[in-house]
Amino acid sequence: MGLKEFVIKKIIAAIITIFAIVSVNFVIFRMAPGDPVRMMFRDPRISGEQMQLIREKFGLDKPLWGQFIFYLKELSHGDLGLSFWQRRPVREVIAERIPQTLLLVLTALAIAMISGTILGAFSGWKRGTRVDSFILALSLTMYSIPAFSLGIILLLIFAYTLSIFPLGGMTTPASGLTGLGYWKDVLWHMCLPAFSIVMWYIGEYVLLTRSSMLDTLRKDYILTARAKGLKESTILINHALRNALLPVITITGVNIGFAVCGVIEVETVFSWPGIGRLVYDAVMKRDYPLLQGLFLVFAISVVLANLVIDLIYGYIDPRIKVGGEKK
Amino acid sequence: MTISLRFLRRLKKLREFFSLLVRNRMGLVGLAIIIFFLTLALFAPFLRTVNPTKVGTSENILLPPSSQFWLGTDDLAKDVWSQIVYGSRISLTVGFLAAIITVFTGSLIGLIAGFYGGKIGEVLMRIVDFFMMLPMLPLMIVLAAVLGPNIWNIIFVISIVSWPTTARVIRSQVLSLKERTFIEAARCIGASDSLLMFGEILPNVVPIMFAESVLMVTEAIYAEAVLSFLGLGDPMNISWGMMLHFAFESGTMGKAFWWVLPPIACIVILIIGFTFLGTAITDVLEPGYKEAHGF
Amino acid sequence: MSKRKNFLILSGTGVLLVSLSLLMVPFVPRAVAEEKPYGGRLRVGLPTGEFIENLRCSSDWQYIEMGCVLWPLIYDQLWIMGPAPDYEALSRLATSWESKDGQTWTFHFRKDATFHDGVPVTAEDVAFTLKYLPKASPAWAYPDVDCVSISVIDDYTVEFTLRKKHGGSYPPAYWFPILPKHIWEPYKDDMLSFSNDKAIGSGPFKLKEFKPGQYIWLEANKDYWGGRPYLDEVVFKSYGSDDALYMALKSGKIDMIGYDGCSPLVVDDFKKAKDIKIIDSPGIALYWLSFNLYKDTPLQDLNVRKAIMYGINRDKIIDVVYRRYAQKIDSFVYPELPEHNPNLPQYNYEVDLANEILDEGGYIDTDNDGIRNDPETGENLTFEICVPSAWTREIKTVRLIKEQLEDIGVSIIVKVLDEGTYFEFIYAPKEEKYEIALAEEEPGPHADWIWEFARSYEAGGEGWNTAYYNNPEFDRILDKMISETKRKKDLYRMQKILAEDLPYGFLIRPDIIDPVRTDKLEGYVATMGGVSTWINPWTYFKVHLKK
Repeated sequence: MGLKEFVIKKIIAAIITIFAIVSVNFVIFRMAPGDPVRMMFRDPRISGEQMQLIREKFGLDKPLWGQFIFYLKELSHGDLGLSFWQRRPVREVIAERIPQTLLLVLTALAIAMISGTILGAFSGWKRGTRVDSFILALSLTMYSIPAFSLGIILLLIFAYTLSIFPLGGMTTPASGLTGLGYWKDVLWHMCLPAFSIVMWYIGEYVLLTRSSMLDTLRKDYILTARAKGLKESTILINHALRNALLPVITITGVNIGFAVCGVIEVETVFSWPGIGRLVYDAVMKRDYPLLQGLFLVFAISVVLANLVIDLIYGYIDPRIKVGGEKK
Repeated sequence: MTISLRFLRRLKKLREFFSLLVRNRMGLVGLAIIIFFLTLALFAPFLRTVNPTKVGTSENILLPPSSQFWLGTDDLAKDVWSQIVYGSRISLTVGFLAAIITVFTGSLIGLIAGFYGGKIGEVLMRIVDFFMMLPMLPLMIVLAAVLGPNIWNIIFVISIVSWPTTARVIRSQVLSLKERTFIEAARCIGASDSLLMFGEILPNVVPIMFAESVLMVTEAIYAEAVLSFLGLGDPMNISWGMMLHFAFESGTMGKAFWWVLPPIACIVILIIGFTFLGTAITDVLEPGYKEAHGF
Repeated sequence: MSKRKNFLILSGTGVLLVSLSLLMVPFVPRAVAEEKPYGGRLRVGLPTGEFIENLRCSSDWQYIEMGCVLWPLIYDQLWIMGPAPDYEALSRLATSWESKDGQTWTFHFRKDATFHDGVPVTAEDVAFTLKYLPKASPAWAYPDVDCVSISVIDDYTVEFTLRKKHGGSYPPAYWFPILPKHIWEPYKDDMLSFSNDKAIGSGPFKLKEFKPGQYIWLEANKDYWGGRPYLDEVVFKSYGSDDALYMALKSGKIDMIGYDGCSPLVVDDFKKAKDIKIIDSPGIALYWLSFNLYKDTPLQDLNVRKAIMYGINRDKIIDVVYRRYAQKIDSFVYPELPEHNPNLPQYNYEVDLANEILDEGGYIDTDNDGIRNDPETGENLTFEICVPSAWTREIKTVRLIKEQLEDIGVSIIVKVLDEGTYFEFIYAPKEEKYEIALAEEEPGPHADWIWEFARSYEAGGEGWNTAYYNNPEFDRILDKMISETKRKKDLYRMQKILAEDLPYGFLIRPDIIDPVRTDKLEGYVATMGGVSTWINPWTYFKVHLKK
């Protein structure tokens, strides 16, 4: 199959996947026990007729099928519905929170990716040495520590006891800071949560890069390069690294895709006003529209990220470009 | 070759595998950790000092560690050490059960998809891909909230979310095995599909399954910790994550570090244990390991 | 002495005295006119869960603690509940009110009130709000603003007729903000759709900045008709965890904790802290057990309910869960109010009596598993108690109840539900989804609506009555009470009936412990419920810089 057919096929697959996700999400949330109308108005004063009116307003009186059509219609207008809990458009609620999450997670990702790959490549290059074992053990440990546990420990030490960092939130409330001062404040608040996330991602990147490096180093062309008498550093950079980094790119794509989901537990521990915490609140309050909107956003970002990765691979992989059949 | 000879051969391979594993430093550490917690879990009724669910008297609330309460008490004057001991039961149970279900389901699907290929394989892989797209944690949160705070629901939820990865791994392993000559040979003899699948391919897939299960256990323990921490666990069944949840909610986390640090330490160490073991297994299984370590 | 000399001496003395006193004037201490300094900023910390996400006029202004404290600062009410101990109705936007029959009311307003954008407040605004706000959301549809007709008599007078007669010690139309008609009119049919970003009201504070979920910054309304507040600014800050909240107070980043104060577990820490004072007030929340009398369980037997109440050791609960910062209650009326009936049957911790009652009722443990059995069905006396997952302290209470009731042979299953499901279950007893529930309400002083919880389910109590309690005698007295101003006897009787019939087993009223910073500010006002609640905006009006 040629490049064009490849691209089209992937895009169609992505669209189908998104639709499937949307449908399944819709069903899951509707199956949940707990009446969202009661949830909206936990007021004994509300009468049967009033509840009925509200049900009609939100389309909750139609059968499941009818509600689904209703939802799809709104979706086609880009309307994600009205949040039960916050009584304003879901779009607004989510849009407010996404930038904060992205700020935190992408920064952490960037740091982790750069340092992780360097460490991992180095470790793989020096396989078997003490340095390698040390890095390996350390990364495994880092990878094993759940981010929120690390977060709690950091909080206890640096925020409570030593008071070097704030106890949570993204900014100092009502500080009146603007411009550079504001961003310095945000950075200061971001340190601990970002650090928790970085530690975990570094572990992942080191392990991945290292094993990929090991795989690559075994390959024949490295042997050839050595036989040709090329310098070690040239081999490392021009040959080994380039190929070893492919899985890293993949995982980064995946990570970015999932970055939007936010690191829920970390956001909870540090009260970071992001999208992760929003998921939890929405679930607790049975806010179906908001939950559906959130999942849609997550699904789209993950599918898109994967699509981009697939396309990049498709472009790089000569087998597809040339248009020959596999095998 | 007769079946029994092959069986003996496999047994020898297994013995080799285990001896290699134990010699691997990482694997050893991992095993030691796991055995420690298993002991805690199995002998919980003997190792605890106080009934962990019994609410104490008000003078004993939030006491730091002492000779009476080895790890201090929490906000209801319950003994922290005893809760840790019983908590290991939850973590290990959830970990093992969820991992078993995940690997079992995943392997089955992966096996079928890889072996048959074609239309069935495509459909199954689409389903797997779809599941992999779902953001794990939010989905778990939703399902846990929908189904209610119950340990079986947690196990179910974790399994549902994790099996796709296993399926993928097993499938690619099966695909590469399919091409090997011994399969061709068996086919020539006229072996049926299921015999091939379960008799020939499965045994070769088992090592990978084993490695996967160990890694799955870490995922499960982590997931249970997070879900409980967020308050979705069973408040009557004390698990380490639940202890953290209550500590966090009580507003006394800053001063009652004896309530917070032990559960975190246990979660982290147990996960490290399984991770080390899992890595050791994957290392040992790699072609060339045997030779590189002088066998 | 000659007359002329006398006159001279007298007038000379008089002049001397007058001049002397005039000279003295600068040295006489100034009369104690309110010399409290203006200025300063009050910073209030709140848990993020209680913070509001937007400024729409939704039920958030009712049920989210932040909401019901915030809007009375930005908007005016017609009248306001005065501070303790009388909690009498004080005029606010309305200067006076009258009614001949309790059904048609005339309110007169002040002429000098203006909205923050300069537009004067008139009767049109009041009539507009009265007409459209209750329609916006059932959260605003209180019976005391349920009008069949509203008319603007002149610029500063409104007359409205309620659907039902309104009696009692308070006038109607208490809990609603006066919204500016000129801003809200375009949204009158769907008020919830208006984002209300600027929150223009006529209250003592103006909105300066609002970051959803993070902070709300208010500044003093210098042109307020009642005189500007002492404070220059009030900031509400949100903190994600209780730990963060307490830390912020200790390190001086906030001056007080909004609404629920601090947990009894950390009071001792605050006692040791410098510049922090502890204000302990009786709470406004009442907790009781609601028994589902519709479901066919042994709970329908009054003896079983009595035994359960005798089997609960509230002293221990108060000791362990609330560290003694709570009191026992026995009715919907707060014990310190004059309407509280002091002669109600008490259900104190008497295990032997509880066991006796159950023995006599025929509930013997026939299968020797430690749990008594129902003589008719043979089944164990096992009941589920529902409690929302968010009420962490109350979950502890229910745990203790479970342990205590084991001693009388009753087994309890603790059922933790999320809030939505919990409320759905308890407000629909006929669906039989719950057996016992730990319930909570904040009636406030002299409230009428709380009694609707006991109005016969089949005679109008549906939607309020969680116990499926039916008692026409009670309804009769309730209706009588609502329409009268002298109601003590009726209230006494009603409390007695409930204590004897036990559809609700009253448990506890937790205190509110407010640690407040005293290094820069003073003048915190405490009422029931602490220094900052929906009935107490007084702290915000009275707190000022120390001299």
